[in-house]
Amino acid sequence: MTWRAPLRSGRRPLDKSPKERFFDLVNLPLLAFASLLVVYGSVVVWSATSGMAGGDGLFKRHLVGIAVGLVPLGVAWMIDYKGLKHWSGPLMTLLAFLLVSPRIPGLGTTAKGATSWLQVAGVRLFQPSEPGKLIFIVVMAALISEYEGRIDRPRDMWRVLAYLAAALGLILLQPDLGTGMVFVGITAAMLLLGGLEGKRFAVIGLLAIVAVVGVFAVDGTLDRIAGKDVALKQYQKDRLLVFLDPERDPSGAGYNLQQSKIAVGSGGITGKGLRSGTQSNLHFLPERHTDFIFAVLAEELGFAGAMALLALYAGLLLTALSIAASSRDLYGALIAAGIIGMWAFQVLENVGMTVGMMPITGIPLPFVSFGSSAMVTNLGAVGLLQSVWSRRYGT
Amino acid sequence: MTTFREQLKPRFAALGAVVLVALGALSVRLWTMQVLAGESYAALARENRIREISLDAPRGRILDRNGKLLVTNRPSLAVALDPADERIRSLIVRAQSATKSDDPTRAEVRETLGPLASMLGMDVQQVFDKIVDARVEALRPRIIAVDVPVDVVAQLSEQSQRFPGVRVEQIAVREYPFGSVGAHVLGYTGEISEEQLKRSDPTAGYELGDVVGKAGVEAQYEGVLQGDKGRRLIEVNASGKPIRIVNEEAPVAGRDIRLTIDIEIQRVAEEQLAYAISEARRQGFKKAKAGAAVVLDVKTGEVLAMASAPSYDPAVFLGGISQAEWKALTDKESEYPLNNRAVMGAYPPASTFKVVTGLAGLEAGITYSGKRYTCPGKWTEMGEQWPKWCWKKTGHGAISFDGGIEESCDTVFYEIGYEFYKRKREELQSFARSFGLGSKLGVDLPGELKGRVPDAAWKKEYNRDYPEWQTWLPGDTVNLAIGQGDMLVTPLQMAAVYAGLANGGTVMRPHVLKHVLDGTGAVARSFQPEPVARVPVSAEHLAVMRRALLRVTQSGTAAAAFRGFGVPVAGKTGTAQVAGKDDFAWFCAFAPADAPKYAVAVVVEQGGHGGSVAAPAARNIIAKLLGQPIVEVHARDESR
Repeated sequence: MTWRAPLRSGRRPLDKSPKERFFDLVNLPLLAFASLLVVYGSVVVWSATSGMAGGDGLFKRHLVGIAVGLVPLGVAWMIDYKGLKHWSGPLMTLLAFLLVSPRIPGLGTTAKGATSWLQVAGVRLFQPSEPGKLIFIVVMAALISEYEGRIDRPRDMWRVLAYLAAALGLILLQPDLGTGMVFVGITAAMLLLGGLEGKRFAVIGLLAIVAVVGVFAVDGTLDRIAGKDVALKQYQKDRLLVFLDPERDPSGAGYNLQQSKIAVGSGGITGKGLRSGTQSNLHFLPERHTDFIFAVLAEELGFAGAMALLALYAGLLLTALSIAASSRDLYGALIAAGIIGMWAFQVLENVGMTVGMMPITGIPLPFVSFGSSAMVTNLGAVGLLQSVWSRRYGT
Repeated sequence: MTTFREQLKPRFAALGAVVLVALGALSVRLWTMQVLAGESYAALARENRIREISLDAPRGRILDRNGKLLVTNRPSLAVALDPADERIRSLIVRAQSATKSDDPTRAEVRETLGPLASMLGMDVQQVFDKIVDARVEALRPRIIAVDVPVDVVAQLSEQSQRFPGVRVEQIAVREYPFGSVGAHVLGYTGEISEEQLKRSDPTAGYELGDVVGKAGVEAQYEGVLQGDKGRRLIEVNASGKPIRIVNEEAPVAGRDIRLTIDIEIQRVAEEQLAYAISEARRQGFKKAKAGAAVVLDVKTGEVLAMASAPSYDPAVFLGGISQAEWKALTDKESEYPLNNRAVMGAYPPASTFKVVTGLAGLEAGITYSGKRYTCPGKWTEMGEQWPKWCWKKTGHGAISFDGGIEESCDTVFYEIGYEFYKRKREELQSFARSFGLGSKLGVDLPGELKGRVPDAAWKKEYNRDYPEWQTWLPGDTVNLAIGQGDMLVTPLQMAAVYAGLANGGTVMRPHVLKHVLDGTGAVARSFQPEPVARVPVSAEHLAVMRRALLRVTQSGTAAAAFRGFGVPVAGKTGTAQVAGKDDFAWFCAFAPADAPKYAVAVVVEQGGHGGSVAAPAARNIIAKLLGQPIVEVHARDESR
């Protein structure tokens, strides 16, 4: 058996050893990075919840979320992603339903100012916008892949943006600005791969900035005309103002940012030790097991722990990138790119907000934050990547 | 497929670059925050969670020279409201927050504090004011009332859910086993005022709410008595709730001090002063209400007793004095009982000053023992238009210098004073100053006055707006010679003058501190006696004066007061004229006359004559000092 084919793609499965066939199906680095992140996250969630009333229950729920997430991982891996391309219509309907569902009387519930939960018969099920991200990725991949890697015509670009705008509109109804931003991140990554020219990116970015500033400028007037809070909520404006001026109102709107920065900074190089973070255990840190989980990690495990986490993310994202590059078709590559965009944006935003680099929004840290909807979604994304990987050969 | 991959390669690279740049930016940010600025964030985190509470140190006790406890500490049940309780903290935080709209409503305050207030017999607003006092450390329990009766405490703890945040604490308060005896020397304590806090040494670590000495020895030796506060570091959570004690440094008790005061002599001095005041009133001097008495050890300057009337009870200051009580102690009608007249009262010394004039005359050669004078009653040496009268208007006739002391003949001293005036050298004033008059003696008590020895320069400055009053006239020196005019002394200064006479011309610095004791009661530090003034006087002249003063108590103006006294006493009466007031009665003495140990000065404001009012009091004080029987004395004296 000294013979080796010049091109792996040229070989048929029957020619391969069982080991080679195994690696055709399983991308070990992907599973390894994802598993390490899940384990690492679970340890931090355990630490963050251990001092809380009912912390044990929360930690168990976190583990249950992981277990449940193995189901979509497996399902997504099994099914041939290529088949999804023909399901765009139903998927779009499902996406629209998911995004609107919290607003449907009897189905939705409101928590912390956002109507972003699906609730049936008084039981909170999940946040539909989380799986919505994956469906959005699949739908957008189908759309963008139609242009075969070149989005030259403006109307193609506008069509993509219109899809994004429709999804954004539905999300902002909840309103969940953070998740909306994730959709933007996803779309940006897919457009980059899908062949949008650099100068068009610049134009879109400029338009976005103009839109944000414009909304800010007219929001007060709109509120006064409508007589109530329309468009931007006060807390959203506060968060943005605090981001621009971190010293602003440290006991009010700036409190979370201030305490989060203290938590991260005071972790030093090696941290205070698991369960020994004073900022988190003495409740100075808000939302410590969910949105601000990174601050707990950085406080308790220090710069070393934070770097380890970022290294795992780098590994995961580059592995996902290699999967995208190995995809047999543009559609699979676009799905992978969307997932990369989703994870990268969430990491940047979530970690960034705890250190004052990004405005504060309620976005979970992938695989780490407490929260089953997100965990299930992220594991489902791993399954999708596996689906792309394991079908990189063949027809 | 290959072409598709080739086409996408730069895009994958771009996507990877974006990802790596994002992660790199986060890493750099984390590096600056956690590694470069980690220390300062750690300090912020510590500031967040650590609160410091100071622990009061027991205050040092005050003993008399024989070791009797004059001021000690006793446990008292105090009721405090603890901000660790949610409702109390909420009231404090909201009342102190800048936004007015968040202030607790009256109903809320009444609901939370009402039951406690009525239990303690206080007004709700009063209780509220005490807890929201912004000057108290945030986590320090606010003391609401001290000396709370046991049955009230029992009810408070039985129904604790009705009284949110109530804590019963045992605190130490000052106790005065001898009541008000020695109150002026001992002083009293109270909460530090904002001005005191501003003036205090920052390293001493005073905070508002601290109890400090406010007067007397308590104030003078505050630094010794206070002790070092302990510290307790408490970890709190985000809502300020204490979680655990991180560290505790125990307080170090203040040092005990032993005074030179003998509480038995002090008691007699106060009794005799009070008796002298009542005797003065009995003699028709109805305005007599106040006075002072001082006993000095002539060799060391130790103050054995220092009485001031009227007096006060230092215990009224415990746990904060009430408005009404404070008003009563500081009202114009009250004769200012808080003032220690022995050092804060300045009076004309009158005839008690004649020893100074006499010795000055002897030293200057103006007069000599046995020198003959003629007292016609009306003295007109300065001219017919400026007559001066001897207190004995009919005149003493032919009288010697020594007789002039014994009978307190004014004419003799007018003559001496006039001679001094004519010499124009202000020798009398400098001689008076050599006794320490006109300046502070530096006694270790707060508020000492320096008195006044008038001279030409003083008069010019004093009357700078009235040019016609600026010239020093013969009458000024003549008045000074009999201790009148603008001359002012404190009772302590006068006692020091007689102590100096008794001590061969050396005036020792008066002091009330004998020892500072260490924790075991052993002497850690002692006050070293030191001379404060030396009088340029010969032993011969001192002997002349001593003989004359002895005759004062044997056959002179104080003879009636000292009739039958078993020990020779050298003394001098004085009756000071004060414009618009009745005469002030003086008596100064040292005893025993042949081997002096003690000097005594007694003054009774508006008490009449020295021989009949002040001398009997001094007699009995000396009797107590020398183991003689104390008797009730009624004496007559018309002299000045």
